[in-house]
Amino acid sequence: MNFKLTEEQDLIRKNIREFCVKNVEPIAAEIDEKEAHPADLFKKLAEGGWMGIPIPTQYGGSGADYLTHAIVVEELSRSCSSTGFTVSIHVGIACMLINLLGSEEQKKKYLVPLATGQHLGAFVLTEPGAGTDVMAATTTAAKDGDAYVLNGTKTFISNGPLADTYLVFCWTDKAAGRKGMSSFIIPKGTPGLKPGEHFHKMGLRSSQTSEVVFKDCRVPAANLLGAEGAGMANAGVAFDHGRVGIAAQGVGILQAALDESIRYAKQRVQMGSPIARHQAIAWMIADMATDLQAARFLTYYAAWLKDNKQPFTKEASMAKLFAAEKAMHHTTKAVQIHGGYGYIKGAKVERLMRDAKILEIYEGTSEAQRMVISGNVLR
Amino acid sequence: MPTLIACFKWVVDEAYIRRGAGGTLDFSSVDYKIGEYDRNAIEEAVRLRDAGGGGSVIGLTVGPPESAKGVKDGLSRGMDQAIFVSDASFRDLEPSQTAAILAEVIRTRIPQYDLITCGEGSSDLYAQQVGPRLAERLGIPCVCFVQKLALEVGRLRAERRVEDGVEVVEAPLPALVTVLPDINTPRIPGVKDTLMAGKKPVTTVKKEDLAGGFEAALKTGAMTAASLERAGEKLAADAAGIARFVDALRKSGLIR
Repeated sequence: MNFKLTEEQDLIRKNIREFCVKNVEPIAAEIDEKEAHPADLFKKLAEGGWMGIPIPTQYGGSGADYLTHAIVVEELSRSCSSTGFTVSIHVGIACMLINLLGSEEQKKKYLVPLATGQHLGAFVLTEPGAGTDVMAATTTAAKDGDAYVLNGTKTFISNGPLADTYLVFCWTDKAAGRKGMSSFIIPKGTPGLKPGEHFHKMGLRSSQTSEVVFKDCRVPAANLLGAEGAGMANAGVAFDHGRVGIAAQGVGILQAALDESIRYAKQRVQMGSPIARHQAIAWMIADMATDLQAARFLTYYAAWLKDNKQPFTKEASMAKLFAAEKAMHHTTKAVQIHGGYGYIKGAKVERLMRDAKILEIYEGTSEAQRMVISGNVLR
Repeated sequence: MPTLIACFKWVVDEAYIRRGAGGTLDFSSVDYKIGEYDRNAIEEAVRLRDAGGGGSVIGLTVGPPESAKGVKDGLSRGMDQAIFVSDASFRDLEPSQTAAILAEVIRTRIPQYDLITCGEGSSDLYAQQVGPRLAERLGIPCVCFVQKLALEVGRLRAERRVEDGVEVVEAPLPALVTVLPDINTPRIPGVKDTLMAGKKPVTTVKKEDLAGGFEAALKTGAMTAASLERAGEKLAADAAGIARFVDALRKSGLIR
């Protein structure tokens, strides 16, 4: 049993923290307010190798482990959850899927620009009528000679308006059920692929989300990611990795909620003493610190399993479920601790609370996580 | 192709020091870092190497064995190799001993060098003595508080910040400079920089490899948090309040 990070993991955590204090924290409130994607920030993230941490160096990555990626998502999310998430989905899903499932040619062509951060990736699965119920998807890819022709509408696609590379999941043979879905790598600019306008969201506002519409979008068969019919299994791989990232995002939000709550509770005086000395507040902070620790251990454990080539589907779901629900619970408490000041725009806890809610919804709702976990433990 | 030596120290990160009961300082959950000014010293050596199109930067640090992480941190900031002078008793060295150890290591293990960079002071003791003492022991020129630095053939040209302005000085090489934080902006190492740092050469020198005795001479008797006593007097922002404020300043001797 060893709870100690390696020297490299610890130094990388210090470095990304310093990076965030200098480059992310100062702009986080503004990009939230303006719903703006911080392109300059992402250029800096690319330069530092933060956009492809667990990808091998020969494919443009930094060659570190998945735990290091999780730590970086956590620290980014501690300053700006939108930024943490954009990196999380780009690395944890887009880069990881091509790295794990792509052909050598696909890796050279698509993974290298993604992992170096020159390109941004998107995971294109959800549809207006198909959220948790993936089987209800209607987008199809019809074989036509040496190509597939895609038709359908995807929605709630993170990085949708910005992505250079879309990983798209749709039916190649609807009648074959779970074995009838396939996944494709589709570069932006492909005729018939049309990203929609950015959705205005409650939280996570600088992360860009949109519809992606396919109308007679012709994709060469060479762009099939993995085998035809393997789409559902591939989506499972994406979820496993992506959920560790969302869990890390929750840990970052929890840490920020704790940081802000401690700072405020020590300086806010009511009834003659700092509110931190009032038991009602002190206990809220104690619970927050305890759940943060638990969420972090669950998250790091799931990442550690992944790095040690062990199954981690259940643990990724547990970490995601726990971190998401605790982030929502404790950001609400953090606003409570701040009282009226916490309800005013510009208070960090107000943004944290709005940013936390989506964690319980995307990459599998909390209900979907419970389905995965119960399915595993009741077997 | 210059050989540059960057000296640095792995110190307690003051952000983690807590104030305990009765004004004591609690170091139980502290983390460590390369001293703030030493980061500038490393950055400047690396910058001069890169600006000159080659050469090498040797990092040099003295400390207890746990400073090994600091060596890796230093190497991730662009240094080519490091010499780590390590002993458990090197936790409480005072500046004259540190300078003596560094001087012996440089004399015996780095046959030729052009420039030594140090921070203006360490982030913990901030005695500002190691640089000048080291130069004295090595018998080389020392230029302190440098805010701009250039290497020319056989000499350096430095801008020093002094009380009344800026002094531009030249010195023959080899020489030692201590640098101010304004001299550069230390880089934040990227992921690969940190991962590659462990693959760079590190020479570890133990206490028994040194000719000098170098027993720790610094004994810390006590350390307490500074406290600021306030009178707690509240004054209104009207004419009467201002008159009382001026009166209070006079009484305390702050104005006449």
